[in-house]
Amino acid sequence: MRPLDWVVLVGSLASIIAYGLYRGRGSNTVDRYLLAGRSMPWYAMALSIMATQASAITFISTTGQSYVDGMRFVQFYFGMPLAMVALSATVVPIFHRAKVYTAYEYLENRFDAKTRALASVIFLMQRGLSVGLTFYAPAIVLSIIFGWPDRLTTAIIGVTVVLYTVTGGIRTVTWTDVQQMVIILFGLVVALVMIFVLLPRQVSFLDALHLAGSAGKLNAVTFHFDWNDRYNLWSGLIGGMFLALSYFGCDQSQVQRYLTGKSITQSKLSLLFTAMAKIPMQFFILFIGAMVFVFYIFEPPPLVFQRVEYNRIRQPELRARYDPIAARYQEAFARRKAQALAMVEARHTADTRAEREAIENYRRAQQDVDSARRQGASLVEATGGEKGFRDTNYIFLSFVTRYLPTGIVGLLIAVILAATMSSSSGEINSLATVSVVDIYRRHFRKDATDRHYLNASRVATAFWGAYAVAFAGLGKHLGSLIEAVNIVGSLFYGSLLGVFVLAFFFKRVSGTGAFVGMLAGEAAIFAAFLFTGISFLWYNVIGCLVVISTGMAVSYVAPAASATPDITR
Amino acid sequence: MPPGQREMPDEPPPFLGTWPRVYTAVVVYLAFLIALCYVFTRAFS
Repeated sequence: MRPLDWVVLVGSLASIIAYGLYRGRGSNTVDRYLLAGRSMPWYAMALSIMATQASAITFISTTGQSYVDGMRFVQFYFGMPLAMVALSATVVPIFHRAKVYTAYEYLENRFDAKTRALASVIFLMQRGLSVGLTFYAPAIVLSIIFGWPDRLTTAIIGVTVVLYTVTGGIRTVTWTDVQQMVIILFGLVVALVMIFVLLPRQVSFLDALHLAGSAGKLNAVTFHFDWNDRYNLWSGLIGGMFLALSYFGCDQSQVQRYLTGKSITQSKLSLLFTAMAKIPMQFFILFIGAMVFVFYIFEPPPLVFQRVEYNRIRQPELRARYDPIAARYQEAFARRKAQALAMVEARHTADTRAEREAIENYRRAQQDVDSARRQGASLVEATGGEKGFRDTNYIFLSFVTRYLPTGIVGLLIAVILAATMSSSSGEINSLATVSVVDIYRRHFRKDATDRHYLNASRVATAFWGAYAVAFAGLGKHLGSLIEAVNIVGSLFYGSLLGVFVLAFFFKRVSGTGAFVGMLAGEAAIFAAFLFTGISFLWYNVIGCLVVISTGMAVSYVAPAASATPDITR
Repeated sequence: MPPGQREMPDEPPPFLGTWPRVYTAVVVYLAFLIALCYVFTRAFS
């Protein structure tokens, strides 16, 4: 980083924090601190929801995912609009009319205290782990740039975020997210433009698309159905819908956003706008990853993008093992580049036969490049590196720091760090809300003053920040971060979704039925995770169905003593 | 239904007249996006 990068980085972060604190003035009651006094407009909620998802992980990991695996990850989001329609038609009016602080508060109204407590604990476990991963992503940035240990940088960012979150409340979080979203979109456009500027002159936009497509990087839709295949149209539509239903309907970090709405209409519009904007945005981010791949057809990429490990395997004592792999990699790269240029030339001269031949050779060279990269990863693993080593999360940042001009590097690093602060602050805020409202106020201190609960919320915020930092180190064991976040979520979301489906649509189900159903749902999900190869997107479907069927069966065998109150209409 | 729940009526959307029409528009938009992605995949594979 050069001085101009530091000026842009520090200036951007300072302006974001200052703006957030300015917007968060007056958050001096529990209602204002946790729900912004239920005063937010739809566009602020929508951008806040999107910004929470578009964290540093989105920038770092999704682009790398596309570089390695192509754009098929976009199908993961196909179920979201269907989920948002369902939630707008059912859940949003119910939560608003119940005037709850948390989604789990509603479960006690419908079932009983133990069901609310179990759902709250499941949420706290799941979101606590996820926020750790959110912290870990920018730690990668700093480890690449400065060579700092991941744990130290995670702790530094964590402490900063906790201090910032404690003072602001949800209003600060929301308005900071809005500002973040604008900067993120600007940063994305700048990154894509720079990639095209850096491509060889003879490679046009369409040529770049054909080069990426011929290597299988533009596979946005795949129809092939396979239970074990993570991303295809069917897992995206069905599994993705269930995950989105769980995430936006049962996860307090999202529910809390639309509970801040001025009205039911404003909250519905925020969800529907998110549904419409999310797929194009995700497509765009994945497309950037695919174009980074095209860029590296013409510029030699490192054998391993993780700089620390790359330097380690080039040490003299490992050269005997490294050199043959590197030589093979360089030869395959040179062959792929030559074939890519031949392919471009054949396209320009409309020589179909030569183009077809060049494509075949290009694909063969690509397979050799991939093979050499796998050997490089194996070498890292075999010589003391992380087991299951993957460098997906380092690809985009390696490109940014090596090839983008001064100033823009600072801007993109600022976007990544600020997005992390904003995303994690919202998650921590929701964790504190559930801890105080569903656990502390419900079970330990029922009649304290508003000031007492406000202070308790701030203490809970600090606690969850520390918890997240402690678990952030898990990120390095979980491969692609964007997948890791969704896998962790899928281990818990199915049960939460199931119990809310029971609450909304099955009037005869008792509290005990719902409670046992949730336990059975979690058991089924962990059995699928530990003992089968079923893709994580299906965990939500499995968990939800097990909760519903078990809840109904238990309620049939042991019905509730009295009818539950109907507050769902 | 408790009285408090009636304080928040479900207002009509600011466009398309009714919520079912808005929901239908979102689903049609999704179908359109999937079709576009399919064309994109086919065109450059």
